[in-house]
Amino acid sequence: MSTSHIAPFIKCSVNILKDMLGLEVKSGATENEGDAFTSRGFSVIVGFTGGWKGRFFLDMSGETAMQIASILTGEDYSSVADEEVLLSGAEIGNIISGNAITDINNSQPGLNLRLTPPSVFAGDSLSMFNVRLNSSSVLIDTSAGAIKINVAVEEGKK
Amino acid sequence: MDIKYINPFIGGLLHVSNMLGFGGMQRTGISKRDKLQTDHDVNIIIGLVGGLRGNIVFSMHEATACNIASTMMGGMPVSQFDMLPRSALCEMANMIAGNSVSNLEQMGSLVDITPPTLVSGKNMVSLISQVETLVVQFNAKEGAVELNIAIED
Repeated sequence: MSTSHIAPFIKCSVNILKDMLGLEVKSGATENEGDAFTSRGFSVIVGFTGGWKGRFFLDMSGETAMQIASILTGEDYSSVADEEVLLSGAEIGNIISGNAITDINNSQPGLNLRLTPPSVFAGDSLSMFNVRLNSSSVLIDTSAGAIKINVAVEEGKK
Repeated sequence: MDIKYINPFIGGLLHVSNMLGFGGMQRTGISKRDKLQTDHDVNIIIGLVGGLRGNIVFSMHEATACNIASTMMGGMPVSQFDMLPRSALCEMANMIAGNSVSNLEQMGSLVDITPPTLVSGKNMVSLISQVETLVVQFNAKEGAVELNIAIED
């Protein structure tokens, strides 16, 4: 898998984190992850199908997730298990992937990607496993903590 | 969520369980998911796009997951939940989703599925889609399996 799949997601993530959440953002290099990776504790998952099939992960620590939720709602949270923390994470995942997919569809007409609704998982020693999908990730350093973007893609026949 | 979309998934799961030779897979209950906490440590999530938009999640205990993988591989003992059983479970989820989607197609609803992702960990909290989630419980010789269905209207 080439890194071209992840590029639109990085661009949109950085834009949203900067403009919407007002975080300072420093982006790192891409790395190949293979078919499994270990989560930092809080993961937003959005699937997509169409010309490419795969998943977009937004992975961060529980503290980062709580900070982001606080920025969005203006309240303080003490646990990631709070529904509003999960909902905030889902919303950010939805916005980023929605923007990225729009960019991809505009620049490559005919791919016709569509998104599934976001799901959020949080817990101890979480690990993610995608069968037959190769993924690349980028670690983004923000003032709220590190956020990892992972895109796993299986190229379709279209 | 329209209740008529539940049966194709139940049918899909029972059909595939039968095909793979699970011991007497039976539906034991159905309920609304009222808490975020899940005590199951293995979750396999598949997205739905098209005529229906949402996610389905199979969740179970690690021991059940190992038993299921063992049955799928012709009774080979599976003691550790490593890459092999993970891959087997993703395949099972894929088969069930594929089967369910072809059931849905007969109802006139064209749905596309995303590849499965397996999430495992301890003390998990999860939010599946941002809508009300329906949980269908199943039980077999291998253990209990829950099918979470979250479909947006």
